[in-house]
Amino acid sequence: MKFWNKIRSACAELFPNCQEAVRAQSEALDHPLPLAKRLSLWLHLLICKWCRRYGKQIKFLRDAAQGHLEQFTEAEPQELSPEARERIKRRLQDQK
Amino acid sequence: MNLMQAENSLIPGDAKPARALSDPERWVDEHGDYLFKFALMRLRDPQRAEDAVQETFLAALKGGQSFAGRSAEKSWLVGILKNKICDHFRKAGRETTFTDLQFYDDEEGDRFVADGVGKGGWIHELGPQEWHKAGENLDNELFWKTYRDCAGKLPTNVAAVFNLREVDGIESKEVCAMLNISEGNLWVMLHRARMALRRCLETNWFAKNA
Repeated sequence: MKFWNKIRSACAELFPNCQEAVRAQSEALDHPLPLAKRLSLWLHLLICKWCRRYGKQIKFLRDAAQGHLEQFTEAEPQELSPEARERIKRRLQDQK
Repeated sequence: MNLMQAENSLIPGDAKPARALSDPERWVDEHGDYLFKFALMRLRDPQRAEDAVQETFLAALKGGQSFAGRSAEKSWLVGILKNKICDHFRKAGRETTFTDLQFYDDEEGDRFVADGVGKGGWIHELGPQEWHKAGENLDNELFWKTYRDCAGKLPTNVAAVFNLREVDGIESKEVCAMLNISEGNLWVMLHRARMALRRCLETNWFAKNA
């Protein structure tokens, strides 16, 4: 029985399901995965177009934000209120 | 982090002090809105964002630099602001717990097969769709508005983590130290943030503009 459990967990490690594969792809963006995990992920991606898309898309989201900081920031609708603007100006005047 | 030093070293030695420091009010008019947006996106609190902007200008006044151009001046100010924001998170990380694991606890469980042979696989109709020519959206102002709105729906803590890591590109270890959280928690939060953001953009942008 113990033997079968071992086989079973080895299989689970070698063949991650999609939920595990997307988690691993996210983790890979933050640190290098251990070799075994990298291999099993690679195997999974060979046969799963959904997870391939997922990985490509989260990478796209990161690269987009990092490469277009200006656009991302400008998309923020709120601006400095006139009152805050005046207050800061006064404060700077005092410091001069 | 030596952001300020890095910014300063960009300035050529013979730069004319064309934009003298004598006029800090001009700073507020020229850079105030941008700095405020930058801070608000990360701090999610208008009052705190205002304070951070004010502190930035005060520090800049003390720093006493002058620049030969608007963009050099702006990136110098952004460098100071980044440090102020990091200081804020360091303080917040010491005082409160930063992990928000309630968020998306089920990790989009509704999109995966719950039981049986294909357990944990994408339910095919609900799996990620093809994003056609995704790169072509990057110049579109509306795309960025959608991206920002989606990021705005993340819980505050998760958004803070996402911004530090994905937008500002700070290394994982540094983010963990700053917020006083474990790497395991950071990965979980980032995974959930990416998942939620991907889903939101797919629904609100790519599915509509296909």
